[in-house]
Amino acid sequence: MSAMQHLLAVGGDAAAFFRMGGYAAYVWPAYAVFFAVLVADTLAPRLRRRRILRELRGRLTRQAARERRATSVSRSP
Amino acid sequence: MSRASLPRACAAMLRRDLLLAWRRRGDLAMPVLYAVIVVVLFPFALGPDLALLQRIAGGVVLVTVLLAMLLALDAMFASDIEDGSLEQLVLAPQPLALMLGMKILAHWLATALPLVVIAPLLAGMLHLPTTAIPALLLALLLATPLLSLLGAVLVALTAGTRRSGMLLALMLLPLCVPVVIFAAGAVAAAQEGLPWFAPVAWLGAALILCVVLAPLACAAALRIALDA
Amino acid sequence: MSKWIPLWLHKLGSPPTFYRFAGAVRPWAMGLALLAGAIGLYGGLVLAPADYQQGDAYRIIFIHVPSAWMSMFVYAVMGVSGFMALVWRMKLAEVVAMESAPIGAAFTFITLVTGSLWGKPMWGTWWTWDARLTSELVLLFLYLGVIGLYHAFEDRRQGARAASFLAIIGVINVPIVHYSVVWWNTLHQGSTVNVFGHSKMAWDMLWPLLVMTLATKAYYAASLCRRARTDLLALEGGKDWVRQIAEAEATP
Repeated sequence: MSAMQHLLAVGGDAAAFFRMGGYAAYVWPAYAVFFAVLVADTLAPRLRRRRILRELRGRLTRQAARERRATSVSRSP
Repeated sequence: MSRASLPRACAAMLRRDLLLAWRRRGDLAMPVLYAVIVVVLFPFALGPDLALLQRIAGGVVLVTVLLAMLLALDAMFASDIEDGSLEQLVLAPQPLALMLGMKILAHWLATALPLVVIAPLLAGMLHLPTTAIPALLLALLLATPLLSLLGAVLVALTAGTRRSGMLLALMLLPLCVPVVIFAAGAVAAAQEGLPWFAPVAWLGAALILCVVLAPLACAAALRIALDA
Repeated sequence: MSKWIPLWLHKLGSPPTFYRFAGAVRPWAMGLALLAGAIGLYGGLVLAPADYQQGDAYRIIFIHVPSAWMSMFVYAVMGVSGFMALVWRMKLAEVVAMESAPIGAAFTFITLVTGSLWGKPMWGTWWTWDARLTSELVLLFLYLGVIGLYHAFEDRRQGARAASFLAIIGVINVPIVHYSVVWWNTLHQGSTVNVFGHSKMAWDMLWPLLVMTLATKAYYAASLCRRARTDLLALEGGKDWVRQIAEAEATP
C-alpha cells in the first residue's frame, strides 16, 4: 500500500507510470523479454532435473526387478 | 625415424591427398559449379542494372567463394575418419600438426584454388571494373587459405560427431567475419581508387599467424575430438 | 593436478560436495537477485527522473546494460573454466563451462532485443552495424556454436572438452571482430550513429543500474548452481549419492 502511495506521489499517477512518457511500447516489451527469458532459464533445468531423476528411478526399479528374478531363478532348481 | 625423413613424409602426405582428390575430380568441380550458379542468380534477383551490380560485385564474389568453400570443408577429414587413417596419423611418429598442415594445404589446392582461378570470371559477370581485379585476386589468395586453416580447426573439433554441416557454418561465421571485412574492404578500396594495401597487409599478417597456429590448434582439437 | 591448488578447492571439485555446496548457495543467491532486482527496478522505473534528452525510453538501460555486461562476464567465466577443463580435465570445470553457455546466450539475446527496442525510438532504427552491436551478435553465434557442438557429441564429457576448446578460440575472436568492425565503420562512413556518446550519469540513474548489475550477477550464480546440480545428476547417474537423492525425492 505504501509503495503504491509512494509511486503515486513520485510518478504522478499509475497511468502515467505505465505510459512511460509515450515510450510504453518500447519500455514494457523490453522488460517483458527480460523476465520471460530469465523465467524460462529458471524453469528449464527444473524440468530437466525432474526428468533425469524419473529416468534414474525407472532404471533402478528395473534393475532391482532383474536382480530379484535372477536370485529366484538360481534358487528354484 | 630420422630427421631427413620428415620432408619426405610431408611430401608423401601431400601427394597422397592430391592423388585422392584427383581420383574424385567430379567432386572438385562441385564448389566451382556452385559458385557460378550463385553468381548467376544475383543479376536475376536484382535486375541487370550495371551500376548496382558493379557496386556489389566484390562482396558477392567474396561471399560466394566463402560459401563454396564451406560446402567442401565438411569433407576435409571425412574419408580419413571413415577408413581410420586419421587415427593412424595421430599415432604416427611425425608431428601431427605438420601432417595436418599438409592435409590443409592439399585441401586448399584442391578446392579453393579453382575458386580463386574462376573468381575473375565471376567478377566479370558482375561487371567489376578490371582495375579492382588484382586487389580481388590478392585478397582471395590471402583470404581463402585463412578460411581453410580456420575451417580445419573447426572440422577437427566436429570429427567425433555425426551431423556437422550446419553446425560448421554456425561455428565458422564468427571466425570469418574479420576475414570477409578485410578482403571486401580491399576490393571496395580498389574500386574507389583508394590505396588498398592496408587491408591486404592485415590479411597477410593474419595468414602468417594462422599458418603457424592453426595446424597446432587443429592437432589439439583432433586429439580432443577423437579422444586420443 | 598441481600442488598449489588449495585443498578446499580439491574437495569442492568432487561432485557430491559441490552438489551440496551449490544447493546451499542457490537460495541465498536467488534471494539476493530478487531483492536487488526489486530495489533496482523500483529505483530505476519509479524513483529515477526521466532523462532530459531521451525521456522515459532510457529506462531500458536498467536491464540492457547489466545484461550486456553479463553476456561478456559469463563468456569470460566459460572461457576460464573451459581452459581449466582442458588443462586439468576437471569434471566440475566442464560442467560450469557448459552450463554457463545457455545462461550467457540468454543474456546476449536479452541484450540484443532490448537494445533494438531502445534503438527504435532513439535512433529510428532497430539495428545498425555498429561495432558493439555486431560484436554482441557474434557473441550470440559463439554461444550457439558452443551449445551446438556440446550437444553434437554422444559422449558428454568429450563434447564438453571440444566445446571448451571452441569457447577459448572465441575469447581470441571477439576482440578481433570488434576492432575489425570499428575499422570497417571508418571505411564506410555515413550511416554510423553516435549511440554511445553518454555523458556522466546522474547518481539517481547510476545507483539503480549498479544494483541491477548486482542482481544479474546474483541471478547468474543462482542459475549456474541449479544447472550445475542438474548436470551433475545426469553425469553421475550411476553413483550412489545420486541414487540416494533419486530415492529420497521419489513421489509417493
